[in-house]
Amino acid sequence: MSADLLAALDEFAPSTRPTDTRAPRLRPVEQATARRRPRLAYGIVAVLGAAAIVAAQMVVSILTTQDTYAISTLTAQQRQLTWDRQILYDEVAGLSSPQYLAANASALGMVISEAPTFLRLSDGALVGASQAAGWQSSIDAVGRGAVANALITQTPLVTDPAATIEGTPVEVTDETGQSVIPPALTDGLPTPTTR
Amino acid sequence: MTGRSTRSPRRRTVVAMFVVLAVIGAFVIRLVDIQVVNANDHIEQSLELGLSGSQKTYGTRGTIVDENGATLAGSIVLYDAQLDPKLVGAIDREIDGEQVKVPWETISAEIGAVTGQTAEEIQAIVAAALAENPESRYAMLTRGLTTAQYRELADMKIPYLAFVAHPARTYPDGAVAGNLVGFVGSDGTPLAGLEVSQDGCLASTDGEVSYQRGGDGVIIPGTMTEKPAVDGGTLQLTINRDLNWYLQQLIAEQTQNTGAKAGSIFVVEVKTGAIRAAAEYPTVDPNAPTAVDESDRASRIFRNTFEPGSTFKALSAAMLVDSGTANPFSVVHVPFRQTFDNGASVRDDLQHPDYDYTLNGVLVNSSNVGISTFAGMMSDQARYDYLTKFGIGQGTDVDFLGEANGLVRDPSQWDNQTKYNTSYGQGLTTTVPELANAYQAIANGGLKLPLRLVESCTAADGTVTAPDNGEPTQVISPEAARQVTDMLENVATKGSVSEKVGIAGYRLALKTGTAEKVDPGAGTYKVGSYFTTIAGFAPADDPQYVVVVTLDEPTTVKSSSANAPAFREAMTQVLKTYRIMPSNSASPDLPTFG
Repeated sequence: MSADLLAALDEFAPSTRPTDTRAPRLRPVEQATARRRPRLAYGIVAVLGAAAIVAAQMVVSILTTQDTYAISTLTAQQRQLTWDRQILYDEVAGLSSPQYLAANASALGMVISEAPTFLRLSDGALVGASQAAGWQSSIDAVGRGAVANALITQTPLVTDPAATIEGTPVEVTDETGQSVIPPALTDGLPTPTTR
Repeated sequence: MTGRSTRSPRRRTVVAMFVVLAVIGAFVIRLVDIQVVNANDHIEQSLELGLSGSQKTYGTRGTIVDENGATLAGSIVLYDAQLDPKLVGAIDREIDGEQVKVPWETISAEIGAVTGQTAEEIQAIVAAALAENPESRYAMLTRGLTTAQYRELADMKIPYLAFVAHPARTYPDGAVAGNLVGFVGSDGTPLAGLEVSQDGCLASTDGEVSYQRGGDGVIIPGTMTEKPAVDGGTLQLTINRDLNWYLQQLIAEQTQNTGAKAGSIFVVEVKTGAIRAAAEYPTVDPNAPTAVDESDRASRIFRNTFEPGSTFKALSAAMLVDSGTANPFSVVHVPFRQTFDNGASVRDDLQHPDYDYTLNGVLVNSSNVGISTFAGMMSDQARYDYLTKFGIGQGTDVDFLGEANGLVRDPSQWDNQTKYNTSYGQGLTTTVPELANAYQAIANGGLKLPLRLVESCTAADGTVTAPDNGEPTQVISPEAARQVTDMLENVATKGSVSEKVGIAGYRLALKTGTAEKVDPGAGTYKVGSYFTTIAGFAPADDPQYVVVVTLDEPTTVKSSSANAPAFREAMTQVLKTYRIMPSNSASPDLPTFG
């Protein structure tokens, strides 16, 4: 052990000197201590804080209400768009069906070639029977359309407005004698009027 | 000491504080009780008081799509229009800045112009409701209005006309795969096909939105609670819709051409067991199921059983070769008619002198006597076991709604004639899928794969579930399968329909069947009416697709030749659809006579 450490320990040793002089417990107040002036800043901060909370709450409340109206408008808009989408979906339903496509192609004079022939892309070679298609299609998609589709029974073909997928022209007239066959889709799909 | 301390101001302050805290605490407890603990009860109470509204929200029933994602069944919204008969009457309208009273007669005519009813019909609905109850507040005007019709009516702003939206089903491709997809009733209940059997995947769960509205109809912020609706899953099938459409058109024409009662074409992918097409005629358009006879609304392919006839000779040959009993070159003596030792008598279709046929020759000329003689070399039990392994009478793993199983009786119940009849497909029944699956096994090196119609179900949250399919079974050895395929190729090149079924550049393997039909009334075979079949696969050098064509009682041609044009064109279309390249080799030429 070093002398330094011993010296340090000595410093912490309790004092042996008794405390004999005691101060009196109570004594009269000589002079009233001056009351500390309240700090104005604290008050201002507190009041401003309260005011800010109230203001923020009002702003939030106003914004929420405002948003509710915005949501309400958008919901109405969304409903209208949903209707428009449904109307458009109903209008084109069945137009993508294979029987409609085939009947349209058939009405244009296209035939289904029977013999499979493939064009090999790597060397441009023709693989298969390489015969020209006959004048007759292997199936008669427009003359004997046999795969029913109630969605487009009355829909005229794009390529032959006088025919439908069922082949024979169907002329339906209402009581006023007017044809109720809808007009052909020659100028694209009609757009529904939105309000 | 006591008196002094209670009187001290400090002590009083403490007591007052406790009182205040106690009161605040009581309020807090009550507040928590109202806002948290019993909040739901109070919300319900407020709903009862009519302070708020609630709306049912519908989930969308899942779509059914084909192997490429083309929609076969989708969901739309239709509307029901209801009248309030008590309020029905004239309406005030502003026309050119003037208030005009429009009479009910005019209004009903305007409504009728949209709904397709006459003014009289509509007036009659109201009159009937009022006659029953003068205070009536409800009468159904019409059901199933389209969105366009609904909007047109709603824009008339008729105060006593109300609308209820409800989900409905639409089938954009009409009758394409209608036999498989099935249909739902007008109330949305699934009634047929996959709509019923896969309802667990397709069905949606309805949700609810509840809220409170202000005086101007705007939802009060913070009052909306929503239980979201869950949409149904997307059901993907193995079917190819374009192929299925072509084959439906084809079989319809061929059924009409041959004067048959019904016809079907069934396509199975050899290496996956996937059903790529199941076309039949007559069939149902799910958009209008009531337009066809009730017996045509369900799939005959899956629900009909029939005696297959000679297409079973391929299975008999397969078990003979696999068991080592015979090979394609084995020879038997074949008279036109043969009476066997047990007294059973078998004869061939056409009169012929005695021949020494090879097993290959028996198949090529479809000799009943020949295959019966060969089958007699095996035990009945062994033949029964092979048929069972081929899946005959076992149904398929498709488990289609109402799917029938064929019937092969236990050999102990076979009488002397049945012992031989079963070798050429009489005296037992099967179904088109069972037959196709047996041919798939031969085409796939003897390995029978479970047939699949459903590819997967994708739930609204994106989880994909594939159906649980059965295990593949090795029915015959790959060598036996190859030898049977060689013989079936000889049937295609030298058999009775060889000139009608050939597809330039491709090697085909097939077998025909002209089966006698039991007349259920008489209990005997019908005279002059047959169930004709051609089952086969291509390309025979590397089999890819099995095609089975059936015709029920063709009349212009009564044999399986009736099926030949349909088989050739169906197979051609399958090969084109899946870009199968022509074979670079010729079919083997096996001897017919020994």
